[in-house]
Amino acid sequence: MAAEEASKSMVEQVHESLNVWGFPHGPVDLGFGAINLEPVIMAWVVMILIAIFTVPPTRNMSLKRPGKWQLMVEELYNFLKGLVNENLDPRKGAGLMCLIFTLFLFLLFSNLWGLIPTMMSPTADLNAPIALAVMVFVLSILLGIKYKGVKYFKHFIEPFFFFLPLSILEELAKPITLAFRLYGNIYAGEVLIAVLLGMFHFTGTVLGGFIPSVIWYAFSIFVGFIQAFIFIMLTIAYISQAVEEVH
Amino acid sequence: MGEILDALGLNATVFAQIVNFIVLLIFLRVVVYPHIVKLLEKRQQSIEDNVKSAEEERQKAEELRRQYEADMQKAKEEANEIIQKATKSGEEEAKSIIKAANDESVKIKEQAKQDIEREKEKAVSELREQVAELSIMVAGKVVDEKITSDVQRKEINEFIKEAGDLPC
Repeated sequence: MAAEEASKSMVEQVHESLNVWGFPHGPVDLGFGAINLEPVIMAWVVMILIAIFTVPPTRNMSLKRPGKWQLMVEELYNFLKGLVNENLDPRKGAGLMCLIFTLFLFLLFSNLWGLIPTMMSPTADLNAPIALAVMVFVLSILLGIKYKGVKYFKHFIEPFFFFLPLSILEELAKPITLAFRLYGNIYAGEVLIAVLLGMFHFTGTVLGGFIPSVIWYAFSIFVGFIQAFIFIMLTIAYISQAVEEVH
Repeated sequence: MGEILDALGLNATVFAQIVNFIVLLIFLRVVVYPHIVKLLEKRQQSIEDNVKSAEEERQKAEELRRQYEADMQKAKEEANEIIQKATKSGEEEAKSIIKAANDESVKIKEQAKQDIEREKEKAVSELREQVAELSIMVAGKVVDEKITSDVQRKEINEFIKEAGDLPC
C-alpha cells in the first residue's frame, strides 16, 4: 500500500514538474459547464499544426512537378481514398472523404503531439475520443437513414423481433469501443512515459535509464499511427455497414 | 449517472471537442480540401490525355512502320527484277559476243587457209617456170640447137607435170 502510494505520488510528481504551462488540475467552469482546459487548448494547438501542415503545400499546387510536401499530402489523401473506396461505393464515399481526411489528420497529430515533452494528446483525455466516436456514430445512423430510409431500422429486428435489445447493444458498443480503444492506448502511452521518467534519478538516466524511454517513445509513435489508422478504418467500416445494401 | 461521468472524467469538454473538430472540418473543407481534389482531378485528366496521345502516337508509328516495310519490300522486288534482267541481258550479250568472235575466228582461219593455198600455188607455178627455163637453158647447152624451143617447151612441160604429180 505504501509502495503504491509512493509510486502514485511519483507519477504525480513527474506530471507536476512537467506542467510548465501552468494548466489547472481539475475541470474549470467557464460558464457553460466544467471543462478540462488542457486537452481543449492542446486540441487548438493541434488544429493550428494541421493548418500549418496542410495549407502551405496546397497553395500553388504544381501538376507536373509536385514538391515533397505537396506529394506527402497528396499521397495521404490518395491512401485514405483507397481505404474508403475499398469499403464503400465510391459515389457514396466521395462525400465522406473530407471527414476521413480531417479525422485522420486530427487523430494522428493529436496522438503524436502528446509525445512532445510538456505537451498532452487531446486524445489522452476521454472527452475527445468520445466526442469523435459519438459524431461518427450519429453520422453513420444519419447516412443509413439517408440512403436506405426506414429500411435502415429493419436490421435491428432481423431475423426476429426478439433480437432488438441485442442489436441496440451492438450498435451502442461500437462508439464506446471506438472511443475507449483510442483513449486507452494513448493515455497508457503518456502514463508510461511519465512512469519511466520518474523511475530513474538523474544518474540512472544518464547511465542507461534513457533506453527504456527511447524504446517506449518509438513504440508510442507506432501506436499513434496505428490507432489513428484503426479509428478511421472502423469509422469507414461502420458507415459502410450502415449504408450498404447487403449486410 | 453523474458519478460515472465524473469517474470517467467526462464533462462539457466533449462538446468543446466536438466544436473543435467541426471547426477543423470546416476549415479544411474550405481552405485545403478543394485544392487537393482539384489537383488530383487535373492530374488524372492529364494522365488520361497522356495515355491516349501515347496510344495514338503508337498507332501512327505502327502504320508508318507497316508502310515503310511495304515500300521496302516493293523496292527489294524491283531491285531483284532489275538484277535478273541485267544478268539475263548480260548473259545474252556475252553469248552473242562469243558467237561473233567464233564466227570471226572461223572466217579468219578460212581466209588464212585460202591465202596460204594461193601463195603455195603461186610459189609452185613460179618454181615450175623457173625450173622450165632452167631446164631449157641446160637443155640448150646440152642438146643440139636443132630442136626448136617450142618443141622443147612442150616436152618439158609434160615432164614437169609428171614430176608435179609426184608427192613432194
